[in-house]
Amino acid sequence: MTKQTFSTRRRQLMLGAAAAAGTTALMRPFSVLAQSADEIVIGGSIPITGVFAFAGVGINDAFQDYVKMINDGGGIAGRKVRYVPEDTAYKVDVSVAAYKKITGANTVNLYYGDSTAFSKTINPELERNGNILMCGASFASELNDPEKYPHQFLVGPDYTEQFGILLKHIAEEKPGARVAFVYSDSEFGRDPIKKSEAAAKELGLSVPVTIMTPPGSVDVSTEVIKLRRAKPDYTIFHGYILAPIPEFITQGKQQGMTSKWMGTFWTMDSSTVMKMGPDGDGFMGVMPYRYYYDTESAPTLDKIRELRPEYQSTAYLQGWLAAMLLLESAKRCLEADKALTGDNLKAALNSLKDFDTGGLIGVPISIPGNSIPVGRVYKADMGAQKMVPASDWIQL
Amino acid sequence: MMAMDWGYLFEVSLTGIASGGLYALAALAFVLVFKATRVVNLAIGEFLMAGAFLFMTFAAMWSMPLWVAIPAAVLACGLLGAVIERSMIRPLIGEPEFSAFMVTIGLSSILVGLAELIWDPEQHRLPDFMPTQPIMVGEAFLSPKVFWGAMTAVVFIAAALLLFRFWRGGVALRATASDQGAAYAMGINVPRVFSLAWVGSAMLAAVSGIIVGSIGGVSSTSMGVFGISVLVVVIVGGLDSVLGALVAGLLIGLIEALASTYLGGEYKLVATFLVLVVILLVRPYGLFGTREIERL
Amino acid sequence: MRIGTFKQSYVADAALFDSRTQHVWLAIAGLLLILFPFTANEYWLYLGCLVAINIASTTGLNILTGYTGLISLGQAAFMGLGAYTVALLQLHFNLPLVLNLLAAGAVAMAGGILVGIPSLRVKGLYLAIVTLAASFIAQFIFANFEFTGGTAGITMQPAQVLGVPLDTSFRLYWLIVPVTLLMLLGAANLFRTRIGRAFIAIRDRDISAEVLGIPLLRYKLLSFGLSSFYAGVAGGLFAYFYRVVTPESFPLTMSIFFLAAVIVGGMGSILGGILGAAFMTMVPEVLRLVFGLLPGAADLISLISPIRLVLFGTLIVGFLIFEPLGLAELWRRTRRFFHLWPFRN
Repeated sequence: MTKQTFSTRRRQLMLGAAAAAGTTALMRPFSVLAQSADEIVIGGSIPITGVFAFAGVGINDAFQDYVKMINDGGGIAGRKVRYVPEDTAYKVDVSVAAYKKITGANTVNLYYGDSTAFSKTINPELERNGNILMCGASFASELNDPEKYPHQFLVGPDYTEQFGILLKHIAEEKPGARVAFVYSDSEFGRDPIKKSEAAAKELGLSVPVTIMTPPGSVDVSTEVIKLRRAKPDYTIFHGYILAPIPEFITQGKQQGMTSKWMGTFWTMDSSTVMKMGPDGDGFMGVMPYRYYYDTESAPTLDKIRELRPEYQSTAYLQGWLAAMLLLESAKRCLEADKALTGDNLKAALNSLKDFDTGGLIGVPISIPGNSIPVGRVYKADMGAQKMVPASDWIQL
Repeated sequence: MMAMDWGYLFEVSLTGIASGGLYALAALAFVLVFKATRVVNLAIGEFLMAGAFLFMTFAAMWSMPLWVAIPAAVLACGLLGAVIERSMIRPLIGEPEFSAFMVTIGLSSILVGLAELIWDPEQHRLPDFMPTQPIMVGEAFLSPKVFWGAMTAVVFIAAALLLFRFWRGGVALRATASDQGAAYAMGINVPRVFSLAWVGSAMLAAVSGIIVGSIGGVSSTSMGVFGISVLVVVIVGGLDSVLGALVAGLLIGLIEALASTYLGGEYKLVATFLVLVVILLVRPYGLFGTREIERL
Repeated sequence: MRIGTFKQSYVADAALFDSRTQHVWLAIAGLLLILFPFTANEYWLYLGCLVAINIASTTGLNILTGYTGLISLGQAAFMGLGAYTVALLQLHFNLPLVLNLLAAGAVAMAGGILVGIPSLRVKGLYLAIVTLAASFIAQFIFANFEFTGGTAGITMQPAQVLGVPLDTSFRLYWLIVPVTLLMLLGAANLFRTRIGRAFIAIRDRDISAEVLGIPLLRYKLLSFGLSSFYAGVAGGLFAYFYRVVTPESFPLTMSIFFLAAVIVGGMGSILGGILGAAFMTMVPEVLRLVFGLLPGAADLISLISPIRLVLFGTLIVGFLIFEPLGLAELWRRTRRFFHLWPFRN
C-alpha cells in the first residue's frame, strides 16, 4: 500500500508555520476585558486563602458590598466602580503577579495590597505607573512615610502608633508600670518594637524584657519562664493572630503571673479573642474601629448590619473603611475636575479633615500623612462573649 | 556581670527537656516508618496536623466525649496512613530511595491543601483535656501539658523498644528493613509489614499531633516547622534508632530552650541546625544510627 | 524520519545540534523569542521573565541533583546569596551589571562549596538535610544582620545599562533571557566534557567512580559550586527583576519548587530542566485562568490556593509513580513518534 508522504522539507515547513501561528495566537492576551472608559477600577491583591485567609475573606466581602452600594447609588460622579480582586494566599510573588495582571488588563486607579512586603515591593512599580493610590492590610510603620511612599496610606494607625495608644493608656492607668513586649520573628512582628521601647521610656514606663518567638513555634514554655521572671505589669503581644497568645496567658496564669494582657489590631477580632477561652477574660487591645455589634450610634454599622446579618470580622470593617477612603479620594478628585493621577488622589486623601466615617471610627478623622493615628482600647468580656470599650478614643 | 542564676537554668532546662519529649514522640513515628520501609517521611509534620484536625472534628465539631474522640482520631489517622501507603509508597518499592522521599514532599503539599479544603485555613484551638495543675520541681515551674506530653512520649518509646526487640511483628519489621528478599524467603508477608508500619506511624503521629495541638493550636501550616525540627531530631539520633529518637529529642529540646533563653528567640532554629551539622561531621549516621555498608 | 545524518569528523559528531532539522527549529525558536516581547502584554512579559529565571535556577539544581545525584534542599538559599550580593553591591558600589551578576555567582559558589564539604562524610538523605540546615542558616543571616537590612530587606534602584534603566519587564527580558540561554548552553556543553561525565559516574555509583580514579571530594565540590553559581546568577536576576530582596523571599518552599521542577521535567536532562521550570511556573497561572472561566467564579476564588497546593503535590507524586523520567521523556516519545512516522517503532 502506498501512502502519499510529505517530503521532510515540506513537513518541516508546515510544522514550523503551525508552531509560529499557534504561539503568536497564544501571545494575544487571554482576556482583554472590555473596560468602558468611564469606569473606576479598584484592583486588589487579596489574601483570600493562606495564613491570612480569615482577613482576606472579610476584606473581599467588604469591598464587594461597598462597591455594590456605591454603584446602586449612581456611582462616583456618575461613573461606575468595578472591583477586580485576585487571590494571593499572602505570598508576595503571587501578589506582584496579580498586580501586573490586573494593571495590564485594566486602567487601575485604586489598589489594595495584602501585606507589608507587597506594599514595599510594589512601590517602585506604583511610582512608575503614577496613576494609582494604594492602601492595604498592612499597618507597618515603615509605610507611614509620605516621602518614601507618596502614593500609599494606612487604613488606621501604624503599629508603632498602636503601641503608642496602648502605652498611653497604660501610663494613665498605672504610671511607671513594667511593660513586656512579646512579638513574632517576622517583619510584621519586628516593625514597631524599637520605636515603641523608646516611646515607653518617654512615658515613664519601663520595658524589662522583649521576647521574640520564632515563626511557627508551637511550644513557648521557655519563653513563658523568661516572661514570668521579668514580672511585668502589662504584656503586649504583637505580630500574631491567635497562637501562641492563649498558651502564654494560660501558662503565665498557672505560674502565678499577674500581668494584664494586651494585643494589637490583627489579634483583636472578636471571634479570635473569644477562642482564647476563659483565660482570655480581660484581654485588652487597641482597635481603631468599632466592632460589628457596638450599640453606640453609628450609621455605617447600621448599614453593614442591614447588608450582613451575621457577625463580620474586624477585617471586614477594615476593608469597608479602605473602600470608603479610596473612593472618597476619587470622588473629591473628580468633583474638582482633576485627573485621576496618583498625586491628585493622594492630595484628595490628605484633604480629608474631620471626615465623618459614619461612626466606623468613633471620632471624625483627618489624614495629613499616611496614617490615621486614632484608636480605642477594648477589653474582652468572656461572659458576654463580646469586646467592650475600656477607654475613650485616643488620638496621637 | 551576670551572676549565674542556677535556679533559672534548672527551670529552663527542665522545660526544654520536657518539650524535647514532644519531639521524641513525633520522631518515634518517623523512625517506625524508616525502620520498616527505609522511607524518609518528610510529611511527618502534616501527619501530626491531620491527627490534630481529626481530633478537633470529633471532639469539638461532632461533640463526641473525649474517651471516644481520641481513639477515633488515632484510628482515622491510621486509616489515612494505610491509604497513603497503598497508593503512593507501594508502587515505589524497588525504586531508588530518593523517589519515595520526593513523594513524601509532594504528599505534604497534598495534605496541607486538603486540610484547607476540608476544614479551613484558620488557626484553631483544641478542646482542653489535660490536667491543669502546674508541676513543681523545687522552685521550678513545669507546664502540665508539656509534662504529660513528655510522659506519654516516654511510655510509647519504651513500648516501642520492647516491641521491636521481643515481639515477632517487631522482628519482622526489622527483617524487612534490612533485606526485603530474605524476609520474603523467610515467609514474612512484606506488603503487610509495610502497611503495618505506616498505620502504626500514622497513629503515633496522631497522638503526637493531638498533644502538640492542644498546646499550640492547629492550622494547616502550624506543624510544618515542627516537622522540620523532628527531622533534625531523627537525623541527630539516627534515622533507624528508637532510642536515638528519645535521646536526640530530649537533647534538641534542651538546646532550643537554652538558645532561646540566653541568646534570643531568633537563635532557636539556627542553634538546632548548627548542632545538626556538628553531629553529622562527627558521627555521620547520627548518635545511634546503624552504619550503612555500601556494596558495589 | 531523520535520515542521512553522517559525520566526517569527531568534532562534528560531538556537536550539540547536528542536523539540519535541529538548526531550522533552533532558528524558529530564536525568532519567536525575539518576537515575543513585542507582541506580549505586561503580564505575559512578566511571566516570561519569571520562567527564564526559574529555568536558570532549575538547570543549576539539575546539575547537582539530576546529573550528580546529590539531593539539595538549599537552592533557594543560594539564590538568596546571589540576590543579596547584587543588592548590596548596587547599594554601596556602582559596578556594572555584568560584574554584579558574576559576583553574585561567585558568592553563591563559595557558599555552595562550603555546604558541599560535608559531602564526603555524609551521603544521600543526610546530605539533603545538611543543605536544609544551610538554607535555614542563610535565612538567619539575612534576617538578623544590620548590613543585610534585617527583616525589612533591601530595595534596589533599577539596573542601568548604557544609561537606560531596566525598570520594565520588556527591558528586563533582554537581560534575563540571553543570560539564561548562555547558562543553558554552558550546562549542555558541560556534559560533553570529562567533568560532566564524572558527575554522571558519581550519580550512578560513586564508590565505583572513585575506584576508576575520579577524586570524589573534588568533583562533588565542583558540582556544588557550579550548581550554586547558577543559583547565584539566577538570584541576581531575581533581584534585578523584583528590585526588593527580603529574607522571606527565599523560603524552603522555593527550594522544594525547584526540586519538583527538576523531577517533573526529568532529572538529568537539560531539556527536562527547561520543561520542568516552565511547566511548574505556568501551572498556577493556568489554574487561575481555568477558575476564571468557570461559572460562579467569585465564590470559588477561595478554593484556588488549596487546589493549587494539592495539584502541586499530585504532580510530584504522579510523575514519580507513572513517569519517573519526567516531561523530557514525554517529549522524547512524541518526537520519536513524529520521527518514525509512518512506522510505529
